[in-house]
Amino acid sequence: MSAPISPKKALAEWKLYLFLVPSLILILLFSYYPAISAIYHSFFRWNGGESKEFIGFQNYAQIFNDKIFLQSFLTIGILIVANLLKLIPSIIMAVFIHRLSSTKFQYWYRVLLVLPMVVPGLVTLFIWKFFFNPNLGALNYFMEFSGLKTLLVHLDQFFGWGGIFLNDFPISWLGEPQLIVPSLIIWGFPWIGAVGVLMFIAGLQSIGTEIYEAADLDGIGPIGKFIYIEFPLIITQIRVIVVLMMIGTLQSFGMQFLLLGENGGPGGAGMVPGLWMFNRAFIAGEFGYACALGLCLFVVILGLTFINNKFLRVEK
Amino acid sequence: MNTPAIAKKPNKDFWKHGAILALLALELFPFYMMLQISFKDNKSFVQNTWLPSLPTEWLWKNYWDAMQLLLPYISNSMVVSVSATLGTLFFALLGAYFFARYKMPLSGALWSGYLILMLLPGVANIVPLFALLKSMNLLNTLLALIILGAAGGQVFCIYVLRNFIEEIPKDLFEAAEMDGASHFNQLWNIVVPMSGPILGTLAILQFLGNWNEFLMPLILLRDPQLFTIGVGLIYLDGEYVKDWGNIMAAFTVASIPLVVIFLFTMRLFVQGLSSGAVKG
Repeated sequence: MSAPISPKKALAEWKLYLFLVPSLILILLFSYYPAISAIYHSFFRWNGGESKEFIGFQNYAQIFNDKIFLQSFLTIGILIVANLLKLIPSIIMAVFIHRLSSTKFQYWYRVLLVLPMVVPGLVTLFIWKFFFNPNLGALNYFMEFSGLKTLLVHLDQFFGWGGIFLNDFPISWLGEPQLIVPSLIIWGFPWIGAVGVLMFIAGLQSIGTEIYEAADLDGIGPIGKFIYIEFPLIITQIRVIVVLMMIGTLQSFGMQFLLLGENGGPGGAGMVPGLWMFNRAFIAGEFGYACALGLCLFVVILGLTFINNKFLRVEK
Repeated sequence: MNTPAIAKKPNKDFWKHGAILALLALELFPFYMMLQISFKDNKSFVQNTWLPSLPTEWLWKNYWDAMQLLLPYISNSMVVSVSATLGTLFFALLGAYFFARYKMPLSGALWSGYLILMLLPGVANIVPLFALLKSMNLLNTLLALIILGAAGGQVFCIYVLRNFIEEIPKDLFEAAEMDGASHFNQLWNIVVPMSGPILGTLAILQFLGNWNEFLMPLILLRDPQLFTIGVGLIYLDGEYVKDWGNIMAAFTVASIPLVVIFLFTMRLFVQGLSSGAVKG
């Protein structure tokens, strides 16, 4: 904790405030001002230029009739649930690495894990876009080779999906509206997040070897050890990662923008709230409406953070 | 080494190594594909999709082309990332020192002002930010990206550094004060030398963040000679006829600067992230 200070001494130390000034100017100008400006402009019809017209709550009224925006929350909801399940490989990875007896291997595996983190995210994304390529992509090679495609074609015929999967045509992952959300979920397989794994390992390291030995004596198997010893210890880390993931997913639209373009791909199936806001501002030129959309998104995130803090708090 | 308990262990670990390696192989598979395709042209890629071609047939020309295309973008990205990272850390150190040293009047309120920003979605800010930079005449400049980078890193870095500085024994500061050291001297001579690892980790994270940024550069930059690496790659991806070998070579070139930095700072970075000091 910072040391308490008497008012008299604080007065003598007034120069300390100067230390905060540059940082404060930066956040006031580039974080607070835009936020306040967004609130202000959400009440205007504004195309980003000098002229603007006050229209009251009209932008907000428009949001409730904006089918694309409401639909985009459904899409992002699906992606959040998928991301939740996609944490499982990271947890498994962390437990495996933690249980290794050789610290040398533990270190080198962590290095290999972090390696994808330093490759620019854009590059990883574009390589996956290449994997999704219908004619050359690795994914279609794999589907053909493993026979999964034949299975999907049969399922398509059986359930009447309307010919998304056809024998003579390559699967068009990013070109078929029904396949866009599945593609966004498949993306990044096997979904190991380096930061998550490292955080889980850090949590696991607080377990002493004697606990494992005691569990061995009680005849608790590897899965039992996970349920009774390891999982309770990393639940805090899992919660932090879940909260960060939810906020991150709600805000992010870079992946959808780069894989599918500014309209969210064919049929707008990959449209997410952030992308719609970006689209309204920079494609349609409706900056005022985009500000209202952004604030709407902010309120949702704030609400979610509040719920997280209230209900997901881990009892210790 | 002959006790059965120890002799059994490697055997038990065998499966774990197998599982870890299998997961890692899948995770790293895209980068394997990137590297092996980067040495091929479209024809040899279609003929031999999965395996690397013989080293004698490697098309170094792909790299030559990629370098010529990307070097200007890379140097722009370098300028932005290095300046933004240095700016972030310098101002964040000053700010964190303010919060950590004494409980000054108002510092509680100011601290809340910083923490609230963690909840603010950056996405809501994009539109007004664009208008603000337009009015500051900073559209289409690298300076705008540097300032945004420095501002964007403040909250997180101050949060981490404050906790770190508060851990430094108070006696050190008091002793320095007796000797008449100013606060700036105390920061420079006590805090900075002690916070090497944490500053290093934060620097890498900030550098990574700035290097990966593509949205603001895409919105703000118009002149091709100002493009950062992210914008350059997006334009490359937008080309209609694609020479995949060339593109993969460009991806590799775009990754090299970060991988090189990583190789030199690996230990620091992995430990910094693992220690839980950086918790987000």
